[in-house]
Amino acid sequence: MGDAAAHTIGDHSQWAESSHCRVAGVRHFGAFAAVELIAPRVAGRAAPGQFVMVTVPGGGSLLRRPVSLFAAHGDRIVLLIEARGAGTERLVGLEVGESVDLAGPLGSSFPTAGVTNALLVGGGIGCAPLQYLADELGAAGAGVTAAFGFRDFRAARAAGAFSIDRLWVATEDGSVGRAGTVLHLLAALDVPPGTTVYACGPTPMIAAVQQWTFAEGLRGYVSLEAHMACGTGSCHGCVVDTARGKLRVCSEGPVFRLDEVTP
Amino acid sequence: MTTRRSGGSERGAGGAPLCAGGPDLSVRLGPVALEHPLVDASGTFDLLEYARRYDGDYLADFPYAAYVPKTVTADARTGNPAPRVTETASGIINAIGLENPGIDAWIEGLPAWAGLRQPVIVSVGGNEPAQYAAVVAALEAHLAAAPAGSAPRIEGYELNISCPNVSSGLQIGADPAATETVVAACREVTGRLLLAKLTPNVRDVTEIGRAALAAGADGLSLVNTFKALVLDRATLRPFLGNRTGGLCGPAIKPIALRMLAEVAQAFPGVPLVGMGGVMTGLDALEFIACGATAVAVGAANFTAFEAPQRILGELRDELETRGIACVAEARGLALGA
Repeated sequence: MGDAAAHTIGDHSQWAESSHCRVAGVRHFGAFAAVELIAPRVAGRAAPGQFVMVTVPGGGSLLRRPVSLFAAHGDRIVLLIEARGAGTERLVGLEVGESVDLAGPLGSSFPTAGVTNALLVGGGIGCAPLQYLADELGAAGAGVTAAFGFRDFRAARAAGAFSIDRLWVATEDGSVGRAGTVLHLLAALDVPPGTTVYACGPTPMIAAVQQWTFAEGLRGYVSLEAHMACGTGSCHGCVVDTARGKLRVCSEGPVFRLDEVTP
Repeated sequence: MTTRRSGGSERGAGGAPLCAGGPDLSVRLGPVALEHPLVDASGTFDLLEYARRYDGDYLADFPYAAYVPKTVTADARTGNPAPRVTETASGIINAIGLENPGIDAWIEGLPAWAGLRQPVIVSVGGNEPAQYAAVVAALEAHLAAAPAGSAPRIEGYELNISCPNVSSGLQIGADPAATETVVAACREVTGRLLLAKLTPNVRDVTEIGRAALAAGADGLSLVNTFKALVLDRATLRPFLGNRTGGLCGPAIKPIALRMLAEVAQAFPGVPLVGMGGVMTGLDALEFIACGATAVAVGAANFTAFEAPQRILGELRDELETRGIACVAEARGLALGA
C-alpha cells in the first residue's frame, strides 16, 4: 500500500446548494434504473464514494433521498437507483427531459492514490458507488476485481448496469452466478498481497468483509448506508458507531476506514 | 445568497413600527431585535456544517435573523440508537436524543463562529433543574470573561423542557411545578432573554406556559415535536431505535397553530416563537397571524439548503401582496372574535 497520507479519507470542497438537473438518459434493469443527469456543478467536483441528495419530484415526499454517484464524466453524473418505496419508485420512473433538483457532491470519498490492486466488494444496491470507483482506479492503472452479491434474480438485475472487466457475481438463491454470498466469491479469489479492499453493502456483509479483510492481512475502506434526513450534517439522524465514537454517515462519511467501523 | 432587507422603514423612538415604505420585516423578541421573523428550530440547522459546504462566507450570508443551535446539555450525550429518523405522511419523525458534546466542549467551539453577525439564542437541555442552570451559568461565566470577538452574540436562551426523546423532556415540560423550578433556576443566573420551549404533549399548553412566565421566562417557544410511533413495514415492530420519536413537519401545523393561538390569547403581549411544519412564507404568516413574534423553521431545513431564503422571500411577498406594511400589523389577525 502507499504511504499513510495517500490513504486519508477524502474531504472535498462540498456544495449543498440545489442544482436543477435535466435527465439525459435512463436505462432500466428490473427494479433499478441508471439515471444520467446533466449536472456540471456536481460532476466537476465529485469523487468516487460521494453522494447527492435528490428531491423527489411532485411534492409527495418531504425528505430528499441520498443516492451515491454511480458514474461522473464531463458534465454528466449517473445515479443507480433501486425502487424501494414511493419516493425511489418515482425516481426510478424518471424520463428523459424531466428535471430533478439535487444537492452535492456530499460526504467523503474513497482514497485511491497509490493503489495498484483493488478488490471491490458490493452487496445489493450498495454496489452502486463501486462503478465510479472502478472507473477512477482503472484510469489510474490499478488492477480492479469486483465481487458483488445479490439476494436473488430480481436483485441481481442491477449487475447489468455495471461495466467492470473482472466482475464476479453471487446470488443467495443461486439463480445468477455463484450460489452463496460475496464471502464465497472472496474465498475463491486469488488476491494479491497489498490489495486495497473497498466495500459497500448491508451491515451483515460489511461485518463479514471486515473480518475477511483483517484475516487476509489487508486494509480497506467502507461506504456506509444510513437513514438520513438532512444529508448535510445538521440533524444527526444518520450516526453510526465507530472507533471514533458516533459519527454521521452524511458528514464524516459515507466512506470510513474499514478498521474504524463497528458494524 | 444575501437575505433581502426590509424596505427602509424604521422603528419609532418608543419601539412602535412606523410602517413606512415596503413591508418592514423587523421584529423585536423581548429585548432582542431581529431583522426579520425567521429563526431556525433548534437541532435542524448546523451553522458550521452549512459553512463547510458553501463557497462564500456563510457566516456573512447566514439567512436566519437569529441562530438557535442544537440543544446543549451540561454533560456530553451520545444520543439514541439508530435508526433515528424517517419520513411519514406529510411529516418527519425523529429520535436523536439530544446528542451533543456537553457545555464545556461547546464553549470551546465558540470562536469558530464568533463572526456571526446575528444574535444567538442558545437551546439548553438537562435531566433536572440544576443541570439547566449549570449550562446557563457556565456560559454566562464564559461570556463575562471572554475576550471581545471570541464568541458570537449570545443574547438569549431557549430552555428545551420538551424533548419527547429523552426521559426528562416530558417529565419537566408536562409538569407545571417542574417547569417553574427550571425556569426560576435559570432566571437567577442570567439577565438575557429567557424562553421556555413548550411540549404539545400535554392537556393544556397554557398551564405550562403560565408556570414558565410566573417563574420569570420572558417568552415562550411552541411547539416541540409530538410524541409518535412509526412501525417497520416488514417486521411491524417500532422502526426507530428509541421506539418512539417526535413528529414534525406539515402534518403537525394545524395543531401547532391552534396551540399557539391559545397561548397568544392567554398571554397577550408575551413574545412568542411559533413553530410546527413551516414550509412556506404563507405558513410563517399564519403563525404570525396566530400571535407569533418570530417563527422557527425546522423540517424545511431538511428539504433544501436554500429553504430559509425561499421562505423569507415568500413571507415578504405575502405581506406585500396583502398590503401589510409590517409584521406587527399581521400579528394576531387570527385571534379574537
